[in-house]
Amino acid sequence: MRAWPLILVSICVLPFIVRPAIAAEIWIFAIFGLGLNLLLGYTGLLSFGQSTFFGSAAYVAGYLLKHYAIGVFPALGIGIAVGGLSALLVGYLCVQRSGLYFIMLTFALNQLFYFIAYQWTSVTGGEDGMPGVPRPAFLGVDFRDPMAYYLFVSALFALSLWLMQRIVQSPLGKILQGIRENEVRAEAVGYHAPRFKLLAFVIGGAFSGLAGVLYAMLFGIVPLEAISFVTSGNVVFATLIGGSGSLYGPIIGSFVFIWLSESMSVVWARWPLLLGVAFIIVVLFFRGGVVEAWNRIWRFSRQRA
Amino acid sequence: MAILETESLTKSFGALTAVSAVRLRVEAGTLHSIIGPNGAGKTTLFNLLTGTFPPTSGRILFDGKDITGTPAHRIAHLGLARSFQRTNVFPAFSLLDNVWLAAFACSKSWRGLLWRRAERYLEPTERARAALADVGLAAKADQPAREISHGEQRQLELAIALAAAPRVLLLDEPAAGLSPEETRKMVALVRALKGRYTIVLIEHKMDIIMNVSDRISVMHFGSLIAEGTPQEIQRNPEVRRAYLGGVAA
Repeated sequence: MRAWPLILVSICVLPFIVRPAIAAEIWIFAIFGLGLNLLLGYTGLLSFGQSTFFGSAAYVAGYLLKHYAIGVFPALGIGIAVGGLSALLVGYLCVQRSGLYFIMLTFALNQLFYFIAYQWTSVTGGEDGMPGVPRPAFLGVDFRDPMAYYLFVSALFALSLWLMQRIVQSPLGKILQGIRENEVRAEAVGYHAPRFKLLAFVIGGAFSGLAGVLYAMLFGIVPLEAISFVTSGNVVFATLIGGSGSLYGPIIGSFVFIWLSESMSVVWARWPLLLGVAFIIVVLFFRGGVVEAWNRIWRFSRQRA
Repeated sequence: MAILETESLTKSFGALTAVSAVRLRVEAGTLHSIIGPNGAGKTTLFNLLTGTFPPTSGRILFDGKDITGTPAHRIAHLGLARSFQRTNVFPAFSLLDNVWLAAFACSKSWRGLLWRRAERYLEPTERARAALADVGLAAKADQPAREISHGEQRQLELAIALAAAPRVLLLDEPAAGLSPEETRKMVALVRALKGRYTIVLIEHKMDIIMNVSDRISVMHFGSLIAEGTPQEIQRNPEVRRAYLGGVAA
């Protein structure tokens, strides 16, 4: 793919433009977005509850990292498993319904998880969050060094992107898009739509789980916000701005979203206003997000030339 | 031998009985048409046969096995494929992908479902290309389905059904909304498929029916009122009254 060189260059350059911690957050949020977009862009399911999987994984893996001193890779494995399992549970209930009811179910179950985290203060710390999540060293590499951790996150992001690329080009990718295009027809040719939607949920949940654990280790804390609907909304927001019709849309969206929130929030407390404007522009003029805007500009300039 | 058979098949929607005690026998290798005025329950009968919804009572036998109540997504795997009366394709997909999806559903192995590239599945890809060639759309394989004409979409609809390598093809008004020229093409197509598949055909256009059918069943208000060869049906007084009435009386 022609996008890969660009992505590798971005990975190399980014930590010298913004702080490594923010650069790492961009790639983590991109992993989160990749998982969502399998549902949103490829299957046509708007899930407003992705932070359920992100947050659950962050809490469980964070707790084990903090109290049982597990290694980095076991923590990631557990996070992926928790993300996938919670998505299996939530997805099983949600795929029974479609349209607005589906969206409301993802949202309602997200709230359920949120209030469990909010109330269960002995484990999650409630509103204060769960601080003290360590970044254990692996084979002598000290991940407390921001640059080392950044490279680690980047490598996992690249791996996630490669995996997602394989998934969307596999038969499963086509089946999910078929369900998005015409669910009745997909059933008639022999695909049980709820089963495949659930599979998309679990895969998306596993990606969210990975992102959740990386996030907890990045900031050393699992804030309550990690499992709130705000986080669920943010990832939908970022993905739509980037362009849900493309594999790379969520990556661009993550870039715009994190960069805006980190650079603008120190300058101007009302920065979400900018996001709102960006979102309105996307919805009104560029339904395919930044990716479509870019394609149109490119085509326009070619026609002129 | 009857490959597809129903026994007192009935479907009620509240007070309305759309399909009433239908006993249909489709012999293997034949082209069996179902005719009847609008609202006679033909499409409902198809929906029952393909598991879109379960019947209120009665049984459906496919190849001697009871398949009553089998959901739609399993029916295709049994070897029953359908086309829809209203064009029902995947608009954003290329023609090849439209057909490939149906071909893959019925391929023997789904190994590598999550990671193998779709093009690497040679057997379904070949079957998909053959189905497109069968309906004469091979040259447009890479065009998106939403960009082809209505007539071509009807052909694609047929190709999707063919790609599943079915034993029985259920065609719901394949010539719906076609121009006379396109209709002629479609009739030739259906005629070419005859013999290769057992076909159950719903159609309104009498010239098509009388031309291609081996047997005809006539539906009226949810019930079968007659069955026979095209000549027998044309002579049947009850059919003339119920269906041909306006034209032939």
